[in-house]
Amino acid sequence: MKVVATYSIKGGVGKTSTAVNLAFEAARTGARVLVWDLDPQGAATYLFRVKPKVRGGSKRLVGADGELAAHIRGSDLSPVHVVPADFSLRHLDVHLERTKRPTERLARLLEPVERSYDLVLLDCPPSISLASESVFGAADHLLVPVVPATLASRTLAQLTTFLRDEQLPVGVLPLLSMVDQRRKLHRDLTEDLRRTWPQLLPTAIPSAAAVERMGEQRAPVGVFAPTSAATQRYRAAWGEVAAVLWPA
Amino acid sequence: MSVRRPTTFTGTDGSVTAVVDALSTMGFEGADAGPHSRSVLDTFDGRLHAAGLRLELHDDGGRALVLWSGDGSPPAHAVADVAPVWPADVPAGPLRQRIAEVTKERALLPLLEISSQRRVLRRLDRRGKAVASVEVHERLEVDGAIGAHVPAWAAEVHAVVGHEDVVELLGTRLAMLGLTPARGDLSSSLAELTGRPLGGRSSSPTVPMDAADDALASFRRVLLNLYETIEQNLPGTVDDTDPEFLHELRVAVRRTRSVLAEGRNVLPDDTRQHFREVFSEIGQVTGPPRDLDVYVLGWAEQVAGLSDADITALEAVREELERRRVAAKAELARSLRSATTAAAFEAWRSWLTDLDVVAEQPAPIGPVVAARIARAQRKVLRDGRAITPASHPERLHDLRKDAKKLRYLLECFGGLLPTKGRKAFVGQLKALQDNLGEHQDAEVQMAQLRTLAHDLRDAPGVDTDVLLAIGRLGEQLDRRRSSERAAFADRFAAYDTKPNRRALDDLLAPLAQR
Repeated sequence: MKVVATYSIKGGVGKTSTAVNLAFEAARTGARVLVWDLDPQGAATYLFRVKPKVRGGSKRLVGADGELAAHIRGSDLSPVHVVPADFSLRHLDVHLERTKRPTERLARLLEPVERSYDLVLLDCPPSISLASESVFGAADHLLVPVVPATLASRTLAQLTTFLRDEQLPVGVLPLLSMVDQRRKLHRDLTEDLRRTWPQLLPTAIPSAAAVERMGEQRAPVGVFAPTSAATQRYRAAWGEVAAVLWPA
Repeated sequence: MSVRRPTTFTGTDGSVTAVVDALSTMGFEGADAGPHSRSVLDTFDGRLHAAGLRLELHDDGGRALVLWSGDGSPPAHAVADVAPVWPADVPAGPLRQRIAEVTKERALLPLLEISSQRRVLRRLDRRGKAVASVEVHERLEVDGAIGAHVPAWAAEVHAVVGHEDVVELLGTRLAMLGLTPARGDLSSSLAELTGRPLGGRSSSPTVPMDAADDALASFRRVLLNLYETIEQNLPGTVDDTDPEFLHELRVAVRRTRSVLAEGRNVLPDDTRQHFREVFSEIGQVTGPPRDLDVYVLGWAEQVAGLSDADITALEAVREELERRRVAAKAELARSLRSATTAAAFEAWRSWLTDLDVVAEQPAPIGPVVAARIARAQRKVLRDGRAITPASHPERLHDLRKDAKKLRYLLECFGGLLPTKGRKAFVGQLKALQDNLGEHQDAEVQMAQLRTLAHDLRDAPGVDTDVLLAIGRLGEQLDRRRSSERAAFADRFAAYDTKPNRRALDDLLAPLAQR
């Protein structure tokens, strides 16, 4: 089982869209996927049409007696299962703090489902917090959406510096997100980012109307716009991520 | 985490209307029926089934692969561009890896094919998400036929994780209509109803028998079982579906020859002699393509210790071996398809199934087999003990043949022996055979390499680098051969122990006393 977290310190960069669409693309190549929505906004939960309810709240979810399997729900994409989020996750840090080894807690909760899934996607809220550190402890890779913006490079540097300083053995896979090729600024910044961050995945996710329609359709773009450019890009991006996770 | 496998309800009359009505009152809705087909894919010998996996190819206009496992984990679904034969036909990623780990060198074949008119009914919650679904199948056909045991309709009920209560309720409602679920999902239940095994074909040579059974009848049963293995593997060998068909066929032929040889004073002499010649010829035509299979399929392993430059230079050799393999397979297919082979096989089956073939003086099989096994063991021990570091390699090859004869007797007549003790003894014998087999493979491959180097000497595109690389590959093979040769004494000593010898004596004692 591989654990990938869609993570960024910055909000509004396409973390949830990336998680939901890559879950769909992973599933259509035969991966058994669990999406764990860790964001109290519950956007991934909403997009998979799952009831936004964590039984017993985040205290029961991550507490001493927490058992992940009890919270797993099926979705309309049969090989994709979801651990939904609700607003109680705003207290996730507090409840993690009360556990024995909080930074290892999410990894421990995932252990019992290790043989059930090939891929776990953790959809994270934007921040660096105790919950984030627990994510870093559980994930094999952080998939970091990077929007072509002036501060993007600095935000990514903050993250990689933190991981290096804390000696956390988690890989970083930056992915260009919400790129508008019509805008010269985006083209220039994309070029700069690729120069500074050669580890950026080759595929860039476009800023596309189809992605915006996910909220209305409550589904990954591949479901309602299977031939769209956005779907093709997510498919290509998944291929690149899969090659890292399962090298031939 | 445990995902519930689908359950299936079946009916033989028009009662599907009542089922659909019941579903409708429970809020299940769906589109019109459309054509659907699904195949259960597995290797010929059912490796996925043995590993607790079920691979299905579903087609309702678009193809999807579905892999269920028996451990309660969720099924994998993948979009399939083609009906997969090899793992490389499955999308790259964990699904391909899971299949490849189990199927290895064997091709995927359809073991059961179902077609129907299917409609999918779903019950949605207020967010529009399905909380249960039911596939209603009508106009069902199994392997292209309606058949007496194929139901008129089937309803396959799928639970959604976290909403299992919905299918519980549905089960209760359907039970009120007098329906009880069949065992398992659609494929399992139709396989059971129509008597089609989903576990693949076994090539086991072991036939159940009793020590008091007549010796001639017992030999014929063993030979018929081996012949059925030959028949089952014949099409896959002729079509070269995967290399294991030839291997299985060849092993069954060798076992047949061995049992015929051991059948003196039991089988009629003229029949025995005639078919020993027939199977000797078949053994000879299957030898070269199998040797080339072993060489080509194990190529990566063979050249693993060489430099990249040598491996590149040897590509010409690998290509030549592949060409020879293709030619040998074509020759084999011609031979196996020939009227002569077909007539020989027909005559053999006819004799094996002839009810008029009975022993003039019936004798129990137990003492016969005990004597044959004891004799074969004595020969293994005598020949093995005579081998010294200075012995000619041919002596090891002879010992390998002795060991095979002993193994075949233990396996083919294994029905007479207690399974646990027999398997433990065969395990010891196998360890010795592995050493002798590796030694012999290296010998054969060195001889092939010498012939190949000679043939390629003046071939276009073959330069000094290629010939030097062949030399280094030969040295590597020779090191492997020497290492197996050096290990022989210990392997044989581990086999030729008092407890091991006594274990065989103990196995045979009850048979000999009869």
